[in-house]
Parts: sequence; C-alpha cells; structure tokens
Amino acid sequence: MNFLLTVLGLLVTGGFWQVAIQETALLLLPALGGVISERSGVVNIAMEGMMLAGAFAAVVCDLAWHNPWLAALAAILAGGFMALIHAVISIRFRADQIISGIAINIFAAGMTVFLLDKIYGVEGIGHVPPNFLLPTLNIPGLNQIPLLGQALFQQNIVVYIAIIVLILTNVVLFRTRLGLRLRAVGEHPQAADTAGINVYALRYGAVITSGLLSGLAGAFLSIGIVNTFVPNMTGGRGYIALAAMIFGKWTPLGATLACLIFGVGTAIYDSNSTLHFSPYLLNMLPYVLTIAVLAGLVGKSVPPAADGIPYEPGSH
Amino acid sequence: MSTETHETSQRISGEPIPFAVEMRHITKTWPGIVADDDVSLQVRKGEILALVGENGAGKSTLMNILYGLLRPDSGEIFINGKHVQLHGPRDAIALGIGMVHQHFMLIPVLSVSENIVLGLEPVRPGDLYDDAAAAKAIRELSERYGLNIDPHARTGDLPVGLQQRVEILKVLYRGADILILDEPTAVLTPQETNDLFKVLRGLLQQGKTIIFITHKLREVLEISDSITVLRRGRVVGHLITKDTNEEEIARSMVGREVVLRVEKKPATPGPVALGVDDLTVKSERGLPAVRNLSFELHAGEILGIAGVEGNGQSELVEAVAGMRPAASGHIYLNGRDITALGARNVRDAGIAHIPEDRRSSGLILNYSIKDNTIFGRQRSGGFSWRSIVLRLAAILEWARRIISDFDVRPPQPDVPVRTLSGGNQQKVIIGRELLSQPTVLLASQPTRGVDIGAIEFIHSQLVAHRDAGAAILLVSAELEEIRSLSDRIAVMYEGRIVSFEPANAPEERLGLLMAGGGRQQEHLSA
Amino acid sequence: MAVPTTPTEQRRLPEPPTITKRALSIGRAIGSPVGAVIFAFVLGAIVVAATGSDPFLAYGDLLCGGIGLFCPTNVYPGFQISETLVYATPLILAGLAVAIAFKASLFNIGAEGQLILGAIATTVVGIKLANWPGWILLPLVLLAGTLAGAVWGGIVGVLKATVGAHEVVTTIMLNYVAQFLLEDLIVGGPLQAPGQSSVTAPIGKGAQLGRLVPQSGTFLGLPGGVYRVHAGLFVALAAAVIFWFLLQRTVFGYELRSVGQSTRAARYAGISVPRTIIMTMLISGAFAGLAGAVAISGLRHSLTDIYRSETTGFDAITVALLGQNAAIGTVIAAIFLAALHIGGQFMQGDAGVSSNLVDALQALILFCIAANFVRSLKLRLPALRQMPPSKSKEAPGVAAVATDTEPSATPNVKETT
Repeated sequence: MNFLLTVLGLLVTGGFWQVAIQETALLLLPALGGVISERSGVVNIAMEGMMLAGAFAAVVCDLAWHNPWLAALAAILAGGFMALIHAVISIRFRADQIISGIAINIFAAGMTVFLLDKIYGVEGIGHVPPNFLLPTLNIPGLNQIPLLGQALFQQNIVVYIAIIVLILTNVVLFRTRLGLRLRAVGEHPQAADTAGINVYALRYGAVITSGLLSGLAGAFLSIGIVNTFVPNMTGGRGYIALAAMIFGKWTPLGATLACLIFGVGTAIYDSNSTLHFSPYLLNMLPYVLTIAVLAGLVGKSVPPAADGIPYEPGSH
Repeated sequence: MSTETHETSQRISGEPIPFAVEMRHITKTWPGIVADDDVSLQVRKGEILALVGENGAGKSTLMNILYGLLRPDSGEIFINGKHVQLHGPRDAIALGIGMVHQHFMLIPVLSVSENIVLGLEPVRPGDLYDDAAAAKAIRELSERYGLNIDPHARTGDLPVGLQQRVEILKVLYRGADILILDEPTAVLTPQETNDLFKVLRGLLQQGKTIIFITHKLREVLEISDSITVLRRGRVVGHLITKDTNEEEIARSMVGREVVLRVEKKPATPGPVALGVDDLTVKSERGLPAVRNLSFELHAGEILGIAGVEGNGQSELVEAVAGMRPAASGHIYLNGRDITALGARNVRDAGIAHIPEDRRSSGLILNYSIKDNTIFGRQRSGGFSWRSIVLRLAAILEWARRIISDFDVRPPQPDVPVRTLSGGNQQKVIIGRELLSQPTVLLASQPTRGVDIGAIEFIHSQLVAHRDAGAAILLVSAELEEIRSLSDRIAVMYEGRIVSFEPANAPEERLGLLMAGGGRQQEHLSA
Repeated sequence: MAVPTTPTEQRRLPEPPTITKRALSIGRAIGSPVGAVIFAFVLGAIVVAATGSDPFLAYGDLLCGGIGLFCPTNVYPGFQISETLVYATPLILAGLAVAIAFKASLFNIGAEGQLILGAIATTVVGIKLANWPGWILLPLVLLAGTLAGAVWGGIVGVLKATVGAHEVVTTIMLNYVAQFLLEDLIVGGPLQAPGQSSVTAPIGKGAQLGRLVPQSGTFLGLPGGVYRVHAGLFVALAAAVIFWFLLQRTVFGYELRSVGQSTRAARYAGISVPRTIIMTMLISGAFAGLAGAVAISGLRHSLTDIYRSETTGFDAITVALLGQNAAIGTVIAAIFLAALHIGGQFMQGDAGVSSNLVDALQALILFCIAANFVRSLKLRLPALRQMPPSKSKEAPGVAAVATDTEPSATPNVKETT
C-alpha cells in the first residue's frame, strides 16, 4: 500500500515525467527507425549496435572537436554506416536478417571497446565538458506550467527532434507516395517490382534511415544524457525499441505509446532512492514489461507480410 | 492439318506492316536446364495469340522475358517493328506492354485504387498521394472498358474474379496496348470466363493486342486467332485457330496421341465408409467455407467433387483429414465419429490424404525420398519403436517398395525430394498414401503439375485401389479428370453441394452448376 | 518455322561426372563455414595492419594461445590447449542448445540467460546439499542446472506457441532478467557468502566435476594444478552424442526437424507445431542450463558476477552456425571459437593487439555465414514469424493455382548459388 502511494506520488512529480519523457525519446528514435525498416520488409535487430556506435562516435568527436553538433552528425553517420552494412548483407546478399543484425551488434560492441583501448589506452576516455554537451532547451513561459512544464518544455533538444521525427514518419508513411511505395515493398515486393518500383533502393533507404535515427539516439545518450562512453552503455535499449515497435503494431504512434510505457518504467527505476527496492530487481522492470507486453497485450500483431524475406526477382 | 507458319507480315499496298510483338530466337537457361530453347513467335495488332503448352513448357518464362522481368540469354524482341532492349518491367510498361499474372500481383492490405496506381501514383505537392484523383481515373477506365469496380474496396476482401479485374485495370491504367495474360481462367467459373472473354473482345476492338497463356484447349479454340505451341522449351508448332482442332493441338503439346479417358469397369460400391453430416468449416479468415454440407462415400467408389477452386473444397478436405477443425457437424469413418480427431489420429484410423499442394504440405523438400515416405506416419508401429526411436531398416524397406511399385525416378532413397520432377514427387506421395492400405483416400488435385505419362499412371492406380475396395474422394479443378475418374460427381459451389450428378453428366450441365447453376450474375461481394 | 524432330527431352546442359559431383557437394558443405572463416581472417589481418600492429605476429599468437602451435619456447602448449578446452566445454553445450533450436527454425538467443539460471540452480543445490556424497550429489546438481535452463527456455517456447511472441525478443529480454536476477542474488543478496562480496560460497566437494590432470605433481613441465580442464568436457561430448541421436534417430527429432522445415507440412502430417516448439525450447534450454551447471561444477565451484562480461550465449550462435547445426560440427566449431578467444587473450599480452579483435573476427564470420546460410536453406518456408501465421498475404486467387512453374523432369537441378 505504501509502495502504491509512493508511486502515485511520483506520478505527479514533474521531475519524474521529465525522466520518463527523456527515456521515451531515447527509445523512440530507434523504434521509429525499426518501424521504417521493417515496413519496407527488412528485419532490423541491430538498433542496439547502431546506437552504440553512434554513442561512441559522438563522444570521441566531441572530445576532439569540442562541438556537440558535429559530434551528433558523426554519430548519425556512424549509425548509418552500421546500417549500410546490415543493408548490404540483408538486401544484396539476401542473408538471414536476424543473424546479420546480431553480427552487427557483436561487431559494434567489440569494435567500440577495441577502439576505446586503442585511442585512449589506460587513462580512459574521460568526460565531455558540460558546455559541449547537447543542450537542453528551456521554452520560456511554457516551462513554468506545473508538472507539464518540467516534463515537456525543459527537455534536451533531441527530445524535440524526436517529436518532429515522429510526426514526419507518420505523415510520410501513410500520406505520401513514398510511404505508399515503402509499405507496398514490405507487403509484396514482387508486386511492387512488377509495378516498376525499385524495391532495393527503397529498402536500402529505409534501413539506412533506421541507422541514422539510432545513431542520433546514441549521441543523445552519450553527449546529452550522460557525458561519456562506457562499454555496452546502451544496455539493451535497442532491443526494447524493437519490442516497442512490435507492441505498436509497426505504427509510429503505437511505438510511441510503447516507448512511453517503458520510459515510465525507467523513471521508476531512477526514483529508486525514494522506493528502496533492490536495484537489480528494479533494473529488470523494462525487460519484464517487454515480455508481459509480448505475452499478453500484443496478441495478433501482424508484421508486414514480406518482413524478413529477402527479395528475389522472378520468385513468384 | 495445316501448320502454317507466319512469315513476316501481310503486305498491303507494298508496305509490310510490322507485327505488334515479335520475339526471335529467344533462349533462356536455368542451372541444368534450358527453359526456352530458340523460341520465336509473332502476333499481329488487334489479334489474340494463344501460347499453349503443358506445365514446364516454358510459356511463363517466355512471357516474363517479354515483360522485362527476366533477361534472355540470347535472342531479340521487336515491338511494332522496332528492336527493343528490356531492362525491367519499367521498360516494358513504357513500350505499352502490360502483364496480368497468374499469381496476382496485388497487395491485399491496400485499396483497389492504391493497387492500380502503384508506381504511377497521382500526387499533390509535397509528395502527398492524391487518392481522389486516383479514384477518378479508375472510374473513367472502368466505364471505358466495361470493368466495374469500387476503387476504395480493400483488395484482399474481393472475390477472385474481381481481383483479376483489378489486375487488368492495372495494365490499362498504364496505357498498355499489348496485354499478356498468364492462365487467366485458372481461377474463374465458366460464367466469369465468359465475362472475361467479352472484355477481351472489347479490348481487341479498341486496337489492343493480346497474348494469352493457357493449357485449356476449349478456350484456345474459342477466343484466339492464332496459336503457338511450346513443348519442353521448344516451339513445336504455329497454328491458325480456325484451321485446327482440339486433338491436333493436344497432339502438338504432348507429342503423341493422348488418352483422354481412363479405362475402368463400372464400380461396385460397398457400405458407407465416410459419412459427412451437416458439416460447417471456417476458412483461414474466419468466414464459413463449407456450409452444412453432407454426403456419403461408399467403399469401392470414387466420388468426384467438381467445382472452381475457392468454393470450399480445400477446407472440406482439410476438415476430413483432421487438419482443420469443424465449426459444427460430424464426420464418420465406418460409423465412428472422427470429427474431433487430429490429423495424426485420422491418418492412423485409415484415412490417407494426397494434399493439393505437394510442395508446401505433402513433402519436406529437403528430406530424402526415404524420409518423406514415412511423413505423417512416423509414429506408427511399423516405423518406430514405441513412437520413440525410428526403425531405420523398416523405413528403408518401405521406401524401396514405394520407389519400385510407383516407378519413382531416380530410384535412390537418399536423394532429396526437391530434386525430383513434379510427377515423381507426386508419385512419392501417392505411393506412400496408397500403400498404407487406406479405408478412405482423399485425393486433392492429384495430377496438378504432373506430366501426362505420370497422369495416366496415377489415374490407373486410383482406379485399381477403388477396385480393391478403397473409398476415394477426388477433388480436382480439372473437369476432365473428374468426369473420367468419378463414379459419381458432387458439384460444390460456395461451400455447399448444389447437386449430385451421375458420372456421365454433360459438361455444360456441370459447368452451369459449378457457376451457381441458374443463379443470376456473379456475386459482387465475398 | 520447321517443327524440330520430335524433341523427347528438354535440352539439358552437360553435367560434370559423378566423382566431381560428390567432391563438389562435400566441398560445398564445408566450403561455407571454412570460406567464411578464411574471409574473416583476411579482413582481420587488414584491420590489424591498419592499426599499426603486425598481423603475422597477431595470428601466430592466436595459433599458439589457442591450440599450442608454433609457440615460443617459454610458452607451454599443453597449458594453452587445456585453457581452450576449458573455454570450449560450456560452449559446446551452449552451441548444441542453439543448434537444436535452429533445427526447428527457432532462434534461441537466450542461451546466456538459460546458462545463468543453470549456474544458479547448480550452485544453490551444491551449497545446500554440500555434505551429500558425490555419486548422488553430482548428478543432482547437473540435473538441477539442466532443469533450470529448461524452464527458462520453456517460458520462451510457451510464449511463442500460445501467443506467437517472437522468440528473438523474449530470449534477449530473459537474458537481461537472468543477469539481474544473478546480481540481485549475489551482490549483497541472499546467496552472497558471508564476509565476501559478489560471490557465493563454494559448492560441496561432491558436486564438483574432477580435473582431468592430476593436481599434484607436474605434467608437461608445469605443476598439475595449473591445468583446469575438467570432466565437464566428457559431459559435453556425451551431450553431443545425445544431440545427434535425438535429432536423427528418434521420432521426436524427426518431428522437430519437420517443423523446422515447414510448419504447413507439419500440420498435414499431424505434428502438433505448438507442442513441438515448446518441447524444443525446453530441450534447448536444458542444454544451455547444463552448460552453466558444468561451468560451476567443473571450473568455478561458486557463483560470481562474471556473467556481466561473458559472451558464451552469443558465441554459441556463431558456433551453431559454423557447425551447421550438426553434432560434430558444433563440437569442432566450439573448440575453434574457444581457441580464438584464448588465443586472443594471449595475443593481447604478447602482440599488444586488443582481444576485441576476436569479437570483430567473430562478427565477420557471422556476416559471411549469414550470407551463405540462407542460400543453403533457401527452400525452407519462413518460420520466423509470429503465430497464428499471417498467411492471408496471398489473395484468394493465388492459393488456388499452384501449378509447377519450374522446369520439369530434372533430377539434377542444382541450387542456384
């Protein structure tokens, strides 16, 4: 009972929601990337690796150039590069997309630590000074609103970017010609091909986009939320984003809702000092939530019909 | 009979009019086999050419080349006299070639208009898809060519005949003047086929050219102007339709006299082996596919289920075989209620099943012939010890018997079955099902995709087992097969048996019943 | 155009003679994993050179550290081999776990979590019953670990079979849950040994798998106690035999493989796909749980939080793929990968090349295998979907017409590579 009251008390704290929204945005970027990629028919479980690569690239570049914007750009490109590898293997070589995704994650994990040692050696990577981190935007006036103000109008710039990306994704996917073609490619690539649509180009584009978004999320993590790089710092968020995508039935808005739920879970964990739970049990929360979601609430979530199947022309 | 060949065009006022389509010396190989071997054909504008041949003759491959989906290894294509290079469907579409595929290239979750305009979508600024403009364009096309359809319907929900309409509108939307139709009537009722032919004739009058792939000889004679016959990748004849007949075409297709009738004694039916009582079965999508259906199948008889595919035959067979649950009603085997038994128990009880889709249901393609011969019976006492450990020697023995009795080639039990021809694959299945001495045999499309030699063999085996007392339920989309094999015929339409007919019922009557017998027009909703 | 003289056969391209065909098919079977490994090593050499180190030195170190070849005189090959076998022992078992799931077209990425659960169970039983005699305690602890892993895998199987939850996601989630469960138990938790931090008490003597090299005296120039290779190796090899027997000689194995090839055909044959999935994940989890049990019983003797940085679960995927999901292949691949890892540690100390290079190599191998993997299994129906299967992707007219469009009558159609 006490626990419940404490939790309820948390739910009306602005600070709590600030963390929740922040985490939501962090998950949302790769989740949207996943939606785009899978809508085009390419299974992408490499968000974890792409985020990690982005996080690493961001810190390294920020320390070198003292410019968070360029560093974020580097992170985006790093994510995109990882995605390109996945795209080539999955699309051009028609490899098993899950194995390719796993390989990317292993590769990113290994490569980042390898380079970490190589570049920084024993002294370690150190921290990025605060004035070179991705800034928080305080929207004047609006941020004075109780609860909502702190939650929504005092966030890192990437959070606002994430919201814009959400809107864009939704519009493009369901209202534009590009989105229509993308969905066609993910449902029935043979039909799209015979209609003269370039299946490969669309899939490449979709996968690389997912990499760009994941890379940005990585930068958000390493030079927005914290200020350094730690091996495996993404901690499974790429996989949680995957679950959010499934939970959201491969729609941007659905994924957002799922990410929000996970964001709340993380915020609860962060507030543990007031809850006094075993930290490890609380750490499990997002993962257990994911399983619960997959077990109970998702049920008949239907992926795009051609999701995960490499396209071979003439195979109708 | 005349087998005129087309020389280069007619001459009118000294000027040669080029063919609308001319393919010269096209060759296409796949690993190990030549799909099209030095094939040439020509079609004049405003005419229909029927491209005829058995399964595997190379017709679809040839047309895929014409449509730019495949590149030939050698040969040339001329459209309206001009030599063209096709790098993909885009090029073909630009030249006015449109293809209506045998397997529809439709995306079920999109609307009719989205499917039609895909690739040539009307847009507003900002790349916004203009649905209203699309709908308008489609309505115009509908009126011009007499193809009524609702642009906003969800394509996956439409009946087959209407889906084909969407496919045709697709090519017309792109301004096709040359239409390739790949086995268009395979899934249509006789009535729908007539409607299609009306549309095609209208298109011809508007100056379109049509190439029509089929293996149905009646239709060839009814609709085409000229015929090109392919056999095993080679052209074996060009015929003028009005100068030829069914027998001649069939002979060209096969290379010898075709036995169209099976020799069989009249049946001596015994007691009821299989009873189906008021059976209702739901389809994959939850709609009733079989509705309150009842019949009795006697030992020693072949009951043929005639009907166009998609009228519930598949679901009926799956329900009897135990693969699909019955929503209501009962199934009895020799008096015993087997309705709720699963496929394994049904099989053990003595019902054998030749599935309609051998490649995805009846066989595991990567398994050897030997492993496939026990598929479905791996738990039985002959092939396993207490359903735990496999009896390898017994299995090998069984496989050898099937291979020799049914002349499976190559006669090597360890060869993966995927390398066998369609006919041999089917023989493996039929061998294992028949040699298990079933009480009831469910034979679904038993000779689909099988070459003629194997067809004759399979037919004679079915009759032999009927004579030995088996009760056989035969489901086939080939009316010929039904009529030649069955002792009685039941016609299925929309999930019900609309009539029981004697084996010698005239084909016109059966065709009418298959189409709903006397009902007005095709239905326009699922 | 003249009618060609009665063609009776479709024209075929000439075939190579049968001996060559046999050799080619064997070559193709080995070719894919071997080719992948070679390719990865070549790329790895380039990376090493690019970062300023000597690839020959690095690879020489891998060889020495991994399998004791070409070692300098002050290094003991016997010890290296022993270390490799130690690393390989749980890897064989985990590889078998992943392999058997693959055979049913299931992706068990949760070997790590199942392994952890196995380790936990083994430790708990090994401590609680520490005074029991070996002949009953040892089988008991191994059994406990196996069952715990089975349960952890079974959860995934049940979720997939009932609501169609994709096993890739559920297994990964359970990995994290297992890790946190472990930490919760031993970092200041109920299993933490009094006076120690992040480690449990050791399990009883009876629960320990013995070392293979006598611990007193010397062996090959080093004191016997240095060699850590233990009887768990035999357990792993025995498991490989069981794996083979299960898959190739039992009815269940036949059904498992059938489900892995085609769920549709399995339905036709009356095989219960949900039941098979659950059983497969139970067995797969059991193998992985045994891996954890063997690691505790034979090597560590108490539970630590080493699993934070351990990668056995992901290594197992590489092992299964390299070994092409076969018993012998998995054993060889596990030893190979173990050699890579141990060699990598040696290489780091000697040539200064970070052992993370091994991770990169592994990823490269995976990439290459993935590209070939699909080709050799091209004709399988996709089974990585959620259930109930969304077969409604085909329009109603499509399912009806299933005419054979392939060229007919060819016993010799080769796979298109």
